[in-house]
Amino acid sequence: MTTAPNPDPNAGPSRHPDASRERGGDAPWLLVTRREIVSRITDKSFLIGTVLMVAMLVGFIGFTAWQEERTSEVTLGATPEAVAMAEAVAAGAPEVDDKVEVTVEELADDAAAEDALREDEVDAWLHPADDGWQLTSESSEQDALTEVTRAVVRQQVLTENAAGAGTSVEALEAGSAVSTDFLRGDAEKAAVAQAVGFVFVFLFYFAALVFGMQLASSVIEEKQSRIVEIIAAAIPLRHLLAGKVLGNTALAMIQLLVYLVVGLVGLAFTSYKSYVPDLSGPTVWFVLFFLAGFVALACLWAVAGSLASRTEDLQATSTPLTMLMLVMFFGGISLDGRGQVIASFVPPVSAVVMPKRILAGGVEWWEPLLALGLLAAFAVVTVAIGERLYRRALLQTGGRVTLRQAWSTAE
Amino acid sequence: MLEIRELTRRFGDKTAVDRVSFEVPAGQMTGFVGANGAGKTTTMRMVMGVLGIDEGEVLWQGRPITRLDRRTFGYMPEERGLYPKQPVLDQLVYVAQLKGMSRVEARAQVQELLERFGLGERGGEHLEKLSLGNQQRVQIIASVLPRPAALILDEPFSGLDPIAVDSMVDLLREYTRAGVPVLFSSHQLDLVERLCDRLVVLAHGRRVAAGTVTELRDAGVPRFRLVLGGDAGWVRDLRGLEVLDLDGTTALVEVRQDGAEQHLIAEATSRGHVHEFVRVRPALSEIYREATA
Repeated sequence: MTTAPNPDPNAGPSRHPDASRERGGDAPWLLVTRREIVSRITDKSFLIGTVLMVAMLVGFIGFTAWQEERTSEVTLGATPEAVAMAEAVAAGAPEVDDKVEVTVEELADDAAAEDALREDEVDAWLHPADDGWQLTSESSEQDALTEVTRAVVRQQVLTENAAGAGTSVEALEAGSAVSTDFLRGDAEKAAVAQAVGFVFVFLFYFAALVFGMQLASSVIEEKQSRIVEIIAAAIPLRHLLAGKVLGNTALAMIQLLVYLVVGLVGLAFTSYKSYVPDLSGPTVWFVLFFLAGFVALACLWAVAGSLASRTEDLQATSTPLTMLMLVMFFGGISLDGRGQVIASFVPPVSAVVMPKRILAGGVEWWEPLLALGLLAAFAVVTVAIGERLYRRALLQTGGRVTLRQAWSTAE
Repeated sequence: MLEIRELTRRFGDKTAVDRVSFEVPAGQMTGFVGANGAGKTTTMRMVMGVLGIDEGEVLWQGRPITRLDRRTFGYMPEERGLYPKQPVLDQLVYVAQLKGMSRVEARAQVQELLERFGLGERGGEHLEKLSLGNQQRVQIIASVLPRPAALILDEPFSGLDPIAVDSMVDLLREYTRAGVPVLFSSHQLDLVERLCDRLVVLAHGRRVAAGTVTELRDAGVPRFRLVLGGDAGWVRDLRGLEVLDLDGTTALVEVRQDGAEQHLIAEATSRGHVHEFVRVRPALSEIYREATA
């Protein structure tokens, strides 16, 4: 029997605490962190979820890029008297919309043109009308072609009319141009900022909820199965909490970084690639805010778990947190103006609002730093409060523990 | 040796454990009995440092116990549990590492113990896939990792089949032979009587009896049974004795005055045949019932 305790007669119980073990093992919090990560990362549902999300991201970006790259080729039918104009449209098309390629098909007369339309030999038929020109298509709209035709025909006719009046288009148009200028970047940039801002808010909400719930239920699992007593007898509960928070934070960060990198790299393959450098800075800020915000909330999730005695209680004990998540989500999406500025400094909402402001631009250099500092300070406070509540609630059994009980009870 | 001194724990107005003192000597098995809610689990949790102590202290080898001491103790909580959805080997190694073993050491020892309990091939399976008996065995392994300095086991036998009880008993005996003090709680008095060197009885948070099984059975007022050739009615007239039961030739008496039993035997022999004169020691269950009543 090789497992007989104490084969060495000198090593009586009094000498049993084996000093080398104290030195040999890893720090308890590190062991807990490692276990949290390994047990989760080898979990099928976690892996499948992450892969699916990445696949969706890649698919979405790929589809967008493909949509953009696609050029529509249209055949424009014209009877002899309209051929000149049709060819002008074909020639002018790339200048108006580089996704439209027009080829001209000459047709004998109006009847032939109508036949060609019906037979789908041409997509549209350009012919003179009483007060100008008319573009006839069978039934489906030819938006791109219509726009191109409209612009080219207008230009063409304007030029002719101007020549007839003894002047030029340039002379006629002199002083009429309205150029645009934006104080806060151009409209497309603002739209991109808006969209990416939404993605940031959503990613934070999603990760905080998913990983928060996971953290809380793993706390309950330990409490419910009483393995927590075995752990508590071996290591300080502070280490257990630290390990769980760190482990889940690391997992959330890994997943977040995968999504962000896939997203940014994907964006570089679309026509929005010029925005990638502009987005990188705000993305780094977002990651920092995410980190501080997540740690602050993770401790609270751990408390929500420790207050429950059974998994069924989690719904109740985590309600304040899920409400907070919703406030952050909707606040992040909808706040603007002064409200947004204020919220961008108020933790934990600042975790999503400030990155959004940074994206939109017009933020003083010190503003993100101040907000991040406040958020980090908030995290320190929740960690301290969370640790006290967690330690006290974790070993209480028999029903839900109220916050007040957890706070005031003796250990 | 583990000493528990005047340990007290209150929950609100209720005193769950009230100045409880006892010892768990090295190399001995100490049984901890008492009704549900008597305070056994609370006491064990305080000993393990899982629950705070209001008053009193726990001494280990004569000095106040520290966290590092406790780390070397084997502990099985009341509603034992490990991670149901984790492989057996992994979580046992994790527990051993938390107790300070290196990964390599832990793996070797866990594998050894698994083999010993006939679970050598099943380390990769999730705990919940094992039968209940095997889950218990895994739990036992978790509590004896790494070779414990003391064992504190809350209801280690509950739910075990007789064969599992025997292998658990064998294992515990190995530890006591090596000088490890073992404290375990149980409702199964027959088992406690069979296994234990010592016994501590708790009722309503107070220690109502403690000592070796013999000490406990010898404690209290001595009782004798007398079986005579003829009628035993005359026993009632003797002084210093209380007759508890009288049935024809048989009498059960309790000695109220030292030496009264000597008069009784002298009187009995002078009156005729004495078939039986024997000291009656109460069964453990009787002591338990009286103590916890």
